[in-house]
Amino acid sequence: MRVYQALLTRRYLFSKIMPLLAAVAVALCSAMVLIVWSVMGGFLAMLVDSGRTLTGDVAVTWSNVGFAHYDDLIERLEGDPMVQAAAPMIETFGVLSLPSGRQETVIVRAVEGASYARVTDYEDTLYWVPREQPMPKDHEEEDWRLRSHEVWAMHREFGLALAEPGDDGVLRPAIVPGIAVADANIRKPWGGFVPGAPAVAAADGSFRFHQQAIFNDEVTLYVAPQDEQGRVLDMVARVFPVANEFQSGLYEIDRRTVLVELGAIQAMLNMNEGRRLAPSVAFDPFDIGFDPETGEERVAAPREFVRDPARVTTVLVRGVGDGRDPRPLAQRVREIYREFAEVHAGRVPPEGDGMGTIRIQTWEDQNRTLIEAVKKETALVLILFGIISFTAVFLVLAIFWAMVSEKTRDIGILRSIGASRGGVAWLWLRYGAAIGLIGTVLGLAIAFAVILNINAIHDAIGAIGSAFGMDTVIWDPSIYYFARIPTEIVPWKVAVVFGGGLLSSVVGALIPAIRAAWMHPVRALGFE
Amino acid sequence: MSILRVEHLSKTYHLRREPVPVLRDLALTVEQGEWLAVLGSSGSGKSTLLHLLGGLDRPDKASSNGQPPVIDFQNHRLDRLSQAALDRYRSRDVGFVFQFYHLIPELTVLENVLLGPMIRRGRFAYSAHKREAKDRAESLLETVGLSHRLGHRPAELSGGERQRVAIARALINGPKLLLADEPTGNLDRATGQKILDAVASLRAEHGLTMVMVTHDPVLAERADRILRLEQGRLQPGDGATHGRGVPGSGAEVGAAKDHA
Ligand SMILES: Nc1ncnc2c1ncn2[C@@H]1O[C@H](COP(=O)(O)OP(=O)(O)O)[C@@H](O)[C@H]1O
Ligand SMILES: [Mg+2]
Repeated sequence: MRVYQALLTRRYLFSKIMPLLAAVAVALCSAMVLIVWSVMGGFLAMLVDSGRTLTGDVAVTWSNVGFAHYDDLIERLEGDPMVQAAAPMIETFGVLSLPSGRQETVIVRAVEGASYARVTDYEDTLYWVPREQPMPKDHEEEDWRLRSHEVWAMHREFGLALAEPGDDGVLRPAIVPGIAVADANIRKPWGGFVPGAPAVAAADGSFRFHQQAIFNDEVTLYVAPQDEQGRVLDMVARVFPVANEFQSGLYEIDRRTVLVELGAIQAMLNMNEGRRLAPSVAFDPFDIGFDPETGEERVAAPREFVRDPARVTTVLVRGVGDGRDPRPLAQRVREIYREFAEVHAGRVPPEGDGMGTIRIQTWEDQNRTLIEAVKKETALVLILFGIISFTAVFLVLAIFWAMVSEKTRDIGILRSIGASRGGVAWLWLRYGAAIGLIGTVLGLAIAFAVILNINAIHDAIGAIGSAFGMDTVIWDPSIYYFARIPTEIVPWKVAVVFGGGLLSSVVGALIPAIRAAWMHPVRALGFE
Repeated sequence: MSILRVEHLSKTYHLRREPVPVLRDLALTVEQGEWLAVLGSSGSGKSTLLHLLGGLDRPDKASSNGQPPVIDFQNHRLDRLSQAALDRYRSRDVGFVFQFYHLIPELTVLENVLLGPMIRRGRFAYSAHKREAKDRAESLLETVGLSHRLGHRPAELSGGERQRVAIARALINGPKLLLADEPTGNLDRATGQKILDAVASLRAEHGLTMVMVTHDPVLAERADRILRLEQGRLQPGDGATHGRGVPGSGAEVGAAKDHA
């Protein structure tokens, strides 16, 4: 407010050590909060992105029995300018019987390779593909994918098509499990995989090692077809060659999901196009008649046969552009579906709210629990660190209290030549703000330096630790699913930390400032 | 014409709830342009009196006989001023010189003197008058013989030099009244006399009224008029006036005292 406060702040600032210590405390606290926030935020962003890689932006879902005429729906969707691509999918549960003898319950996603790759980043997630450069930490170049490029190029084609030629050269529908489903690969410290040899146990307690790499092997998949009412019939099994493996980066998905060729699963689940018996109301077992199409004599009397269209449980939609917010797209998809449902009224689930209507959800809606959990964790950690940072407020308070005591005589002098109470209080608040400013700027600089070099720092800590025989690799790629520590520096978070650091210094200086303002000038002058 | 008129001025401190009366129903009139010396032994309440006159402290609500205090500075009742108005009074109308100089150690000589205008004016007004304020500060410091010390810190100065800085600071805002609390109390006699020479010439130059309190009768001799502070009241001093063109104020003080 007046020039003398600025002048004194400046002079006190560089003649006193203690307040600079307070600035260091503010710096460390704000650096800590920003680093934690950036790492957690980066983790969350990576989680969301990884989740999106295999599901697109919006899903139209009618679970279990699926819905028909999806080709028409996809055509309508792809005709809309907001939609980049749409793809059919059946999502169901299955049991995977692995060469090692293990059984795994899995989520089966039956898709067409080509359309699925258009809607998702499927192609980027295929693991067994040629690689030109070793992964950043793969100093020994252990990665198999760096050599024999023709083999991996072939596996990429198989993976993309979800089909692989058999011994007879005829293409067979294939399966692409998540990289952690079969548990057949060994995770390396540099973040990649090499094929392993899983142990196969026998009932007598002996075991042998299964030597064949999973991507050259075959697995058996069991799925449960349902009738029109959704009742589960007998499990159906089929052997699929493993074409490739995928890695979305999200452990939950990579551990439990398999991708299979759509047509094969439709056939297994009776969801393909075909002639089926119409559900007959009355059934008389003694009524013998002829099948009108084949002319054969049958136990059941002439019954109606219908042409059933193929069905899928889900249509995945990808929006145009890199729009982060999929909600407008979901709204548009809803409108398109409504038109579609009107055209096919009575034969597809209606659009609307509540029971008996189609479900149209964004990826975030579907994975709300997972994303919310990480968001909650982030909030919790931030609150904890915020509380810890509160010690900085008390440090500033203590130091400024001592400073005001030390400078009592100056306060008396200023009052004697006409400074007001408010003016004296402002002097200390200003001083606090200056300390806060220095502290937060320093803190942000530290935070930026750490965040931008966090992986290098982490490697260095790991190297130093292992030199002393200690396990100091905190972010072990064989535990975490991201090979590198994800971080993101978000401007508004930087602004919040900056404002928070500044504010806490001012709050810390507030009580000493009030004390200074209310000091009796005569007593302050007499203070030696 | 009087610049300052005081009546029924009492000040009681409280030590562990025990009242310690220091000033008791004191009366005083200070004439425009006068140099008044108040002589008193240590602990007699001289500083207390100056603080009350300078608006640094407030007197008792009423003297022992129930009369409310009057501190009238050029027809403004200090005892009734708001805190903000008192701040303004200290900033513009009075200048303090203390025994222990009371300079701010982090500021240079020039900055210590400039504190006055910095406190008096808002940021923009000060910026607008900065040149002027600086010129005035430099000329004041030149008058007290410190023009070669502008950038020095108080710690680099001798006691006498520090007191000269304090005098320049007291005068920077052009006050009408200078209150000096044993200004030479911390200096040897020769230096003290030089300081008083400087004050005397500045006083003449600026037409200042000065109230100086001291325990040293030799120093008091230089004033136009001497009063003694005894038992919380002012008595006329020995050989009171030198008659330096100031009308007979001793009688008036006596009259005021008689009223009390
Ligand atoms: N804040 C205070 N509380 C209690 N007593 C005080 C206070 N200030 C001064 N006194 C007492 O008041 C008396 C006068 O003090 P002061 O005005 O400083 O005297 P002088 O300046 O003449 O030496 C002294 O006895 C001193 O102890
Ligand atoms: Mg004193």
